Amino acid sequence: MVWESLIGLIELLIFPGVFFIFWLALTYEWIDRKFYAKLQNRYGPLHVGAKGFWQPLADFIKLMVKEDIIPAASDRLLFTLTPIFLLTLSLTAFFFVPIVPLLRDVALASFEGDLILVIFLLTMIAVVKFLGAWGSTNIFGAVGGVRLAFQLLGYEIPLAICLVSPAIVAGSLSISIIAQYVGSNIIVAIALLPALAVSIVCFQAELERIPFDIPEAEQEIVAGWLTEFSGRRLALIRLSIDVELALASALLAALFLGGPYGPIIPFLPVQVSYFIWFIIKATIILLIFSNIRTLFARLRIDQMVHFSWKNLTIISLLEIVLIQALLAGGVI
Amino acid sequence: MSEKEVGTAFEVPIGPQHPALKEPILLLFKVDGDIVVDVWPRIHTHRGIEKATESRNYIQNIYLCERVCGICSFIHTLVYTQGVEKLLDIEAPPRAQYIRVIVSELERIHSHTLWLGVAAHELGFDTLFYYVWRDREVVMDLLELISGNRVNYAISTIGGVRRDISPEVADKIRKGLDILEKRMDVYKGVVEKEPTLRERVVGVGKLSPQDAIALCAVGPTLRMTGVKRDVRADDPYQAYDEIPFNVITYPTGDVLSQIIVRVGEVYESINIIRYALDHMPSGPIKVKVPWYIPPNEVISRGEAPRGELFYYLKSNGTEKPERVKIRTPTLANIPSVCKMLIGCHVADIPIIFAGIDPCLSCTGRFAFIDEKKNKSWIWNNEELKRYSLKWYGKA
Amino acid sequence: MAMEPELAKHLFKKPITLKYPFEKISPPEGFRGKLSWDADKCVGCGLCVTVCPSFALEMIGKGPTAEFRYYLSRCVFCSQCVSTCPKDALKMTNEYELADYKPVVIEFKRGKS
Repeated sequence: MVWESLIGLIELLIFPGVFFIFWLALTYEWIDRKFYAKLQNRYGPLHVGAKGFWQPLADFIKLMVKEDIIPAASDRLLFTLTPIFLLTLSLTAFFFVPIVPLLRDVALASFEGDLILVIFLLTMIAVVKFLGAWGSTNIFGAVGGVRLAFQLLGYEIPLAICLVSPAIVAGSLSISIIAQYVGSNIIVAIALLPALAVSIVCFQAELERIPFDIPEAEQEIVAGWLTEFSGRRLALIRLSIDVELALASALLAALFLGGPYGPIIPFLPVQVSYFIWFIIKATIILLIFSNIRTLFARLRIDQMVHFSWKNLTIISLLEIVLIQALLAGGVI
Repeated sequence: MSEKEVGTAFEVPIGPQHPALKEPILLLFKVDGDIVVDVWPRIHTHRGIEKATESRNYIQNIYLCERVCGICSFIHTLVYTQGVEKLLDIEAPPRAQYIRVIVSELERIHSHTLWLGVAAHELGFDTLFYYVWRDREVVMDLLELISGNRVNYAISTIGGVRRDISPEVADKIRKGLDILEKRMDVYKGVVEKEPTLRERVVGVGKLSPQDAIALCAVGPTLRMTGVKRDVRADDPYQAYDEIPFNVITYPTGDVLSQIIVRVGEVYESINIIRYALDHMPSGPIKVKVPWYIPPNEVISRGEAPRGELFYYLKSNGTEKPERVKIRTPTLANIPSVCKMLIGCHVADIPIIFAGIDPCLSCTGRFAFIDEKKNKSWIWNNEELKRYSLKWYGKA
Repeated sequence: MAMEPELAKHLFKKPITLKYPFEKISPPEGFRGKLSWDADKCVGCGLCVTVCPSFALEMIGKGPTAEFRYYLSRCVFCSQCVSTCPKDALKMTNEYELADYKPVVIEFKRGKS
């Protein structure tokens, strides 16, 4: 009993828990920056560690030791709680994603309906960002926060519909069970490809990356909702943005590509083989995110909402119709 | 502007320090929701260059005028030395005029590609920014080969130019232009086909031709409304009367036409340079000029990459000028950009303002300050006319 | 989507960035770097001091024994002094790595012949 609790604690804190999630977030920021730079014919981070591997960690440490300034007119409570809540919410959402088979379960925590909980947590993250922007009492922060709320109206519906489509096919709302189902049926994965495409676009909007980095537009509103944060708070917010990036990659890999499930690699223990498949699939999704970031200019907020409601919602509804047709026809 | 009205409008200041601006200016916007209702500009860069020219001799002033702007540095020296030559009533030899045209057009290419990158950056399209600036290095290397420096070429002097273009250098220029033309084809394709870019620039920042003429717009900002005015064609200087070229205009008058006009001008500049290299006359590159310049007053104009550049020079017989007055094109474009900004979204402000290619380090204006009475005021057009008539009536 | 072909091409090309200071490009011929003075040719006419736009040259003494002080921190590298010198005693070298922590003054002195 004590032995099991100890292993559970190690799993929660070290692997695949908090420490691993932070390491994965910083590594994914590095891969994102290097791939973005490679597509633009330049180097990216270069000197801190081999090929600049420790650059995101160095940025984090640098921000942690800088002075933390709170504007006199801002709301202290909102200002203080924003980074804490952002980090906590994104970490909590990551606990439900299956990474590697563990002692008792596949994900650190899973129950029937944890997909809905993850969607709820993603929405809460956007609400907390808006409150943080509002509490900054800065013109640019206010404009950024309002744009963030507007953008939430745009991407939330198609994202929710598309994230639920694999659940309809698998007949369960638990991410681990969906991953197992999709991972063993390749036809299901192919039928879900339009939903994967729409989810990637919606997550690009949720993570506030080009072409949807409207709340954070550097050239128009300095830094948007992030403007007044500095020092330790900014370090934690940036870390939480990285954790969200890793969360998006891992979640989409689990729901649409089958997560850690795949053919067993010979001569390796089962856990290692599952882990390798998880990393490969999540990294593929990350590379698609980075490529989209390189391709486009930034949209305006009204154009983004129009695009989302006219195109993304229609495609996601059509996907539901397709899935129901295939289910009724007995194909999947 | 009427002072702080109480109402539903919300004030957003862009500047003096802002990531959208490369140089300081204050633009105070009154915003209703997401639409701009009013804009109040305040230009406060004053560097005292015109006063500094009065205590340096004509040769030292070449380098002072060169540093008015970093991007259009050559056209400043060209118009200044052209003006001093007019004061002396001499002309530079034909070979020098052709060399000046070549460097001037190379600078135009460098300035327009810089602008394309900056405009892409203002739209959030960093990839295009990096690629265009990478290919701009071809032009910078060519200019370094001709003149010895990447910016501030210092190649034009009173009476001609200081360095010659040898046949090897001319060969390298031709090769560089071929590479540049191929790369510009790629970027032209991106601008025409990329959907997110077109969404941001089509129909944004519209200016009608009547407004552009009434508000004294110059340069590509005027040509993008469809009005065909270019100092090189209307009032040819240096060797432009011997070189055939087209004046590029586009009728729509939004930011997309700014891009199309400037990209078209890059192609025209490439053709002008090729023609000039093929038809360059031989001969001396400089004539001797006297040290003391007899009293005279003269106006000299040139087409900078941003528009019409205007110098007024007055000499008084000594080796130092009496007065040098510089009117840069960005100052003439500020009223037009204020007209373009009204009615746009907040997100369009950076791209509309960057669309006129602002170079605020050149933009100076004058104001009267009376220290004893603690007053400061500016004059409008009628007061200036009245004062000038009174002054010339006296003299 | 218009830039995708360009991006795909550059996935396998070497980055264009120069890893300065580990990789350097040497400037072309005719580059205007630091000034150099040839004492044998100089006759001390002082024309270079008159035309310098930033007052970077100062003449100490007069005539064929004059020596100079060159304020490197004021020089704008326009090479007008090179063009004006009637005896070609001044030349611009290739040196461009001239940044320093304090203003630099170089004394151009005549050595023992």
